[in-house]
Amino acid sequence: MLDVTKSGLGSEARTRARLVSLCVNGEWHEVAVKPRVTLVEAIRDAIGLTGTKASCECGTCGACTVLVDGRPVLACITLAVECDGRQVRTVEGLADGEKLSALQEAFLDQGGLQCGFCTPGMLMSATALLERSPRPSREEINKALEGNLCRCTGYNAIVDAVLQASGQGVKPVMK
Amino acid sequence: MSDLNYVGKSWRRKDGPDKVTGKAVYAQDVKLPGTLAGRILRSPHPHARIARIDTSRARALPGVKAVITVDDTKGIRHGFVETPRYPADQEVLARGKVVYVGEEVAAVAAVDQITALKAVELIEVEYEELPAVFDPVEAMKPGAPEVHPSHPKVTDPYANVGGKSETEWGDVERGFAESDYVREDRFESHLRTHGYLEPHVTLAHWEGGKMNVWTSSMGAFVKRAKLARTLDLPYSAVRIHKTYVGGTFGGKIDLYSHEYCAARLSMITGRPVRIVATREEIFSAYRHGQPLAMEIKTGVKKDGTIVAQQIRVINNSGGFRGSGVVVIFLAWGFTMIPYRIPNLRYEGFSVYTNYPVRAPQRGHGAPQIRFAIESQLDRIAEELGIDPITIRLRNARLPGEALPNGDNVHNAGLADCIKVAAEKSGFLEKHGRDRRSPPQGTIRRGIGIGVSAYMGGTLIYPNGSAVIVKMNDDGSAVVLTGAIDIGQGSETVISQIVAEELAIGMDDVKIVSSDTDTTPQDIGAWISGMTYVTGNAARQAAGNARDKLVAVASERLGVPVGDLAVKDKVVYSTRDPSARMTYREVIAASVATRRGDTVIGEGYWRTMRDEPNHPSLATTKGRWTENYAFSAQVAEVEVDIETGEARLVKALTVHDCGFPVNPALVKGQIDGQISMALGHAFMEEVMTKDGYTLNPNWLDYRMPTIHNMAVSEDADVITEQYRVGQPYRTKEVGEGLVSGILAAMANAVYDATGVRLNSTPFTAERILYGLKALEFKAKQPKPKEKVGA
Repeated sequence: MLDVTKSGLGSEARTRARLVSLCVNGEWHEVAVKPRVTLVEAIRDAIGLTGTKASCECGTCGACTVLVDGRPVLACITLAVECDGRQVRTVEGLADGEKLSALQEAFLDQGGLQCGFCTPGMLMSATALLERSPRPSREEINKALEGNLCRCTGYNAIVDAVLQASGQGVKPVMK
Repeated sequence: MSDLNYVGKSWRRKDGPDKVTGKAVYAQDVKLPGTLAGRILRSPHPHARIARIDTSRARALPGVKAVITVDDTKGIRHGFVETPRYPADQEVLARGKVVYVGEEVAAVAAVDQITALKAVELIEVEYEELPAVFDPVEAMKPGAPEVHPSHPKVTDPYANVGGKSETEWGDVERGFAESDYVREDRFESHLRTHGYLEPHVTLAHWEGGKMNVWTSSMGAFVKRAKLARTLDLPYSAVRIHKTYVGGTFGGKIDLYSHEYCAARLSMITGRPVRIVATREEIFSAYRHGQPLAMEIKTGVKKDGTIVAQQIRVINNSGGFRGSGVVVIFLAWGFTMIPYRIPNLRYEGFSVYTNYPVRAPQRGHGAPQIRFAIESQLDRIAEELGIDPITIRLRNARLPGEALPNGDNVHNAGLADCIKVAAEKSGFLEKHGRDRRSPPQGTIRRGIGIGVSAYMGGTLIYPNGSAVIVKMNDDGSAVVLTGAIDIGQGSETVISQIVAEELAIGMDDVKIVSSDTDTTPQDIGAWISGMTYVTGNAARQAAGNARDKLVAVASERLGVPVGDLAVKDKVVYSTRDPSARMTYREVIAASVATRRGDTVIGEGYWRTMRDEPNHPSLATTKGRWTENYAFSAQVAEVEVDIETGEARLVKALTVHDCGFPVNPALVKGQIDGQISMALGHAFMEEVMTKDGYTLNPNWLDYRMPTIHNMAVSEDADVITEQYRVGQPYRTKEVGEGLVSGILAAMANAVYDATGVRLNSTPFTAERILYGLKALEFKAKQPKPKEKVGA
């Protein structure tokens, strides 16, 4: 058995880093990562976009949700090397410069966030939903957001935000 | 008041744009070059003597920069409570013995997470296991394994009692003798996690004699005090930096060992050290809320009027005192406020066991004790043939009533809350319907009510808040406040108040917050007083700046101060609107004529300026607050009698939260509390066996998801009373509303099924068992009436 007290973890850490190309929010990044590095680590630590949150780190809370090729994935249980050459979208990519997306505006209008820690993941799951279903039913919304935990809002305001953003007659409650 | 432009309106969150774009910085987002990864070694035993710790193999591991045990600390203790009666009782790392699974024994700092993990495994600790005790009632028995000696001032012959709260008024024995009906019940509550999405994260950097800290917190100044004391540094040498905080719910106020360890490891290595708690650590070793066992004896008159009440509460406080001695005090307080109880005897015990230490958790005793009292009140009402609304109105405190501790409820809206809740929910038409005439199928619907009351801004360190408003020379303002935005919206509310008082726009207000070096002291976001205490400090500060602007304008315009008003960054004469100066002109004039005074306003606030101290936790003597909020909540539940599964369908919250500075933020607090309470009632339980946590993750611990949403409606009462002339008479709204609704759900389950549950959570298994028991009972032959009985 390997005696790490002598060799150090250098031996383990010597596992060769791979060069991974990720197109994050339309910008290509080449990052050298160990095979064990998760997508959320690559995005937050190697690329430096900290909007995506790490919470449970075992795929149960949805806070780390990003879009890979348009589909929501849990970045804490996705390896960065799996995403080589893929299109990744994070919360930083939702606004067009200073102009927020309709969904972001709706979250502000409805009070769809409080502490804000689930918000990036929630926005990504909801963005993917609206892109494939522009006027989703409540059932579709529930299904799309069922993997995103929120402890602050009780979800009501989040559902209203998605309904507002999809033009389904929900009016802003905040100005 | 129609002349309010900002206060009383639902402005969007000031922190909202940063939070929806990923720009908001939380503790995990702060990056410093050369940061080391820290990790904690935890006890694998619930109770054991530490015979030996050998860190040499860990230290020898390449990449390891420091390893600490308690011998590397100053040995200074800390506690959630630090009073003469309850001095600080816990060291930052275990000394001599461990008293719970997960207790912190050592910590390492290494070049990366994997090395730190390996180093922790290389620390050798020799334990001698000791007998452990987990049930507080067992722990109290003389001869039980001793976690710690009982408090010297507790004279009962009990073991492991960390503290006791005791109070009495009236004559309880006479009260019971004069009662027409007396009943006794025992209730139990269970262990839940706070469920904040952001894990505990601390980044500490010792640099140039300064300890810079970014940590998940509920109050920067409390953290600074405790961290500085345990590190043996002056307060000025510790700076808690501002970060946003990803949810707290009570679970981030204590000093946590990892915060100390990150700081100490940084002092030793000279490099930044970050420690992140895994969710498994949070579930199994961090501080949860407090399970209480509650024995309640209540005597009433035939009409339901409470005559006497005797309450005994036992708290399982875990391995140290934590907030255990506070929750037994608070459970008394949340008993005292809503109903008139002419004769009361209360005793609460906080008992050490071999569980992790307990912390405050949203409501801090209120959901537990209100569940118990409101459940029993419904049983009493049923026995007496009175409906749940009438019995509550009969006992509800009315405006202006004095409380037994010397406080006054002032314009308490409780009776109005109960009436409005009954009307809006159609309570009396719905109550008992499915039990009288069960519908087809397996779904039964029930309705229940519960009430609660909550204090705001109680005195506890640092007791008050200060705010500084600096005017910029273009007339906009920078607000310096120690208030921390944990999601409740403090930055928004403070901005609204400053905008209102200064007659400037929301966008003209820039908030600089929650930094112990640059912002003034603040009470913190943990005693439900931030809008009231810090909000009023902000009002004073902005008002002070406005008064200075008006004074300068008065001199320049030659108009008396009394004839000047402010609007849209202009000071003008109410008699001659052409006599006017913009703020820009006023500030330039002030700088020119007042030796450079650029106009800075100061404001301060504290609850109960005539009360020097917080009340006694042991005797309950002393005033609590001038600011009591009241509520009545109605739950409508559905129970599937085939499976026992119950769910909250609809919640109605009617509250007197004083003046709502931002009604949509108030609504957000209500909805969040309804969601948390339905998790409490039906879903969540930290399961343990022999001190080990069995479900330390969100797959096995079920927190409400979007599928568990309930309709949440709300209404406020008597807020018009607050609107007249005192727009900042705000009260609590952020935590008390987990309480009445929990009781309401218990009562609604009974209403739907006839099953009365005296323990939370109301699981399918328990409800089904109750249904089977009722079925069994119904099949038994009726007992013959005793002759002559």
